[in-house]
Amino acid sequence: MVSNGSSTPPIPLGTSGERGKEIPRKGFWKTLAVFFALFGPGIITSNVDNDAGGITTYSLAGSEFGLSLLWTLIPITLALIVIQEMCARMGVVSGKGLSDLIRERFGARATFYLMIALFLTNLGNAVSNFAGVAASMEIFGVSKYLSVPLSAFFVWWLVVKGSYKSVEKAFLVACLFYISYIVSGFMVNPDWGEITAQFLNPTVEFTPQYLTLAVGVVGTTIAPWMQFYLQSSVVDKGLKPDDYQYARMDVVFGSIIVNIVAFFIILLCAVTIHQAGIQIETAKDAALALAPLAGKYCTWLFAFGLLNASLFAASILPLSTAYTICEAFGWESSVNRKFAEAPQFYGLYSIMIILGAVVILFPDVPLIPIMFYSQVINGVLLPVILTFMLILVNDRRIMGKFTNGWALNLISLITIAVLIFLSGAMIITAIL
Amino acid sequence: MAVSPNSQVFLFLSQILGKRIVDSAGRVQGKVLDLVVAVADLYPPVTAILYLPERAKSPARFSWNKVTHIAGQVVVSPPASADAPSGNLGEGELLLKESLLDKQIVDTHGAKILRVNDLHLLKVNHNLFLIHVDVGFRGLMRRVGLEKAADKFFQWFFDYHLTDHFIPWRFVQPLSSPALLRLRVAQDRLSLLHPADLADIIEELDIHKRTAVFQSLDVETAAEALEETDPKIQVRLIENLNPAKASDIIEEMSPSEAADILGDLPKEKAEGILKEMEKGIAEDVKELLEHPEEKAGGLMTTAFPTLPPQATAREAMEFLRHEGENLDLIDYLYVADAEEHLLGVVSLRDLLLASPQTVLGDMMDVRVVAVRLEEEKEEIADRFAKYGLKAIPVVDEENHVKGVIPFKSLLEVVAPQLGK
Repeated sequence: MVSNGSSTPPIPLGTSGERGKEIPRKGFWKTLAVFFALFGPGIITSNVDNDAGGITTYSLAGSEFGLSLLWTLIPITLALIVIQEMCARMGVVSGKGLSDLIRERFGARATFYLMIALFLTNLGNAVSNFAGVAASMEIFGVSKYLSVPLSAFFVWWLVVKGSYKSVEKAFLVACLFYISYIVSGFMVNPDWGEITAQFLNPTVEFTPQYLTLAVGVVGTTIAPWMQFYLQSSVVDKGLKPDDYQYARMDVVFGSIIVNIVAFFIILLCAVTIHQAGIQIETAKDAALALAPLAGKYCTWLFAFGLLNASLFAASILPLSTAYTICEAFGWESSVNRKFAEAPQFYGLYSIMIILGAVVILFPDVPLIPIMFYSQVINGVLLPVILTFMLILVNDRRIMGKFTNGWALNLISLITIAVLIFLSGAMIITAIL
Repeated sequence: MAVSPNSQVFLFLSQILGKRIVDSAGRVQGKVLDLVVAVADLYPPVTAILYLPERAKSPARFSWNKVTHIAGQVVVSPPASADAPSGNLGEGELLLKESLLDKQIVDTHGAKILRVNDLHLLKVNHNLFLIHVDVGFRGLMRRVGLEKAADKFFQWFFDYHLTDHFIPWRFVQPLSSPALLRLRVAQDRLSLLHPADLADIIEELDIHKRTAVFQSLDVETAAEALEETDPKIQVRLIENLNPAKASDIIEEMSPSEAADILGDLPKEKAEGILKEMEKGIAEDVKELLEHPEEKAGGLMTTAFPTLPPQATAREAMEFLRHEGENLDLIDYLYVADAEEHLLGVVSLRDLLLASPQTVLGDMMDVRVVAVRLEEEKEEIADRFAKYGLKAIPVVDEENHVKGVIPFKSLLEVVAPQLGK
């Protein structure tokens, strides 16, 4: 298109950034403007991470162990930043998605089994998110037989009939709703002095329940699908190596936000449910228990947050899964194509949503075992993917001069070792 | 699989990789790592085997001539000895696993980007040729080691006979290295694609491959493909070129498309390219750059035919024959006086049907549908719909003809709203 010849020519942005938007050229405002034009992938990924499963785990952590698990959020944030930063860097430098890189480097067989595992664990996540929709809408008095089919249709329609731009905008707006948890956190007037003390003197209880929940918090915050989703979105944005600093800011910012939200959920449940000594098993229990302790608005805010998180994750997760698998096998994959042009892509996407929703509607479906096995596959898959990532990010043919330094490799190795240990511990304790 | 010397046998690369290499006495020499082909031929013959010698750490290669059998194991005679270090690929040589297996290729016949699951080879007498690329599900299952299981499952469950999905090698353009794209064969194959398909393929590739593919095209094909490419990607592609090459490509494009691209580029880059361009074209483009992008002035092209009213139909035909190559449209001839006031219009149909001596002034239609420079695109779309025209001229306040909007330029503006 022809510019109107005004004094500052438009700076071309990434492939899905706003085109023709004029950006001031100097200093802080320029930096800020470029950041907002390029941000998104990291923040969206991190927020999807706080899905129904995440909120449930945080609620349980707060209500069973009070503030004593809060400190784990600090190492988790660091690990999340380190891992996500590698993905963003690989995306920017190679211009390829993670499953693309894995397929080209590790061949068809490894990729095939990896993708099957990813599909199964993400299917489990889809189920838990529709369970989250059902639970939160029941707090508002809506039957799951109405809320689940409607929400399933909504997320399906959003992607199949909408364009990617509108989808991305809708998702960015959805990120704002996580503030409802922060508001609820402040509504209960927590004792900030004690919270600070908990961070300064981290304690570990060596009981199976404590360790299981600690592993749960780590596992729900660092999930396999995120690495694929983040890297693909970075590639989709068309970021250049010059823009890399903004991608990194985005990732750091997103990783911090996700843990702030987690912090407030644990806090909220700790100062209310834990102090009252109430036993809960689900996020819905948590929301309902809040009403007599912190007022019904707090319950509503909590339920609304859960609904938003579940819907958000229910649309992104199947999308990311379909995208990742199609990329690995070379099938057409784009939300900008029609159904008949990309049958595998839309097929996978639709199957995950339909299965995820239908399972919730059956009265006697064993939800707990489904969630459990999905978590187990998650736990096995994550170290494998992280190891692949570490090999890829150190490959000069792919990364050129952007490979990991020794310090980053050391931190990543420690992170992976701890994750392998935790996943192994969880699986073993669960089986025994 | 017994192989007699004169038979033809199909083989898959996945069946050969990892095979044991033995000499005629049965002593193990090593195992197959990769095959080297000479890619310049229509069906590339395998010229050498890259192998990991027994008890060695680094790979080596030996010539294909030494292979006597390739059935259960690869039999070589005389015994394998490394002919050359593995790193040295000769001119026009390609490693099959390294540069094709699991990588993306362009199917130039179906205009699609696909991922290679396996390679299909044909053994004729003693030579092995690459003939097909396997991109199908069955090939994927073969790699996973579940080919038979998948066949049985589909037969039993869906009563569906799983078939191979092959693409003949002559329609395959590998993308894995820039060197492959510089080959003569590559350029011929990519230029077979329709520019719009080529543009779609370029858009789908990652940044590095995109640039490599684009830079491998000849100037004319590059310009055609660029016109069809998404504006954001256009900018990226041009930014990565030096001004001289960029200006060569942009000169080949229509002035309005050229102005669109230059308008989106950073100012210094755009000026650098304009300086390198041929003067006449650069002037046209600069003029178009002055107009806002979504109004008539920004949509129009300046490469259109104008003739004086006293010209005859014969002269007009001569003019089109000589100049038509450089014009963006010849559906209409615009009749203007010496000061470029728009007087009338003659359609190509009228011109072809008129007797050669008729003067344009006599045959022209004076009820010209024109728009002003600052007309909005919605208004222009309405005119096209109402009068059913292929192009509309653009005039200034004094009725000087400034340019013409071809229907195609407007289509690009309104198409997104048509639910494309």
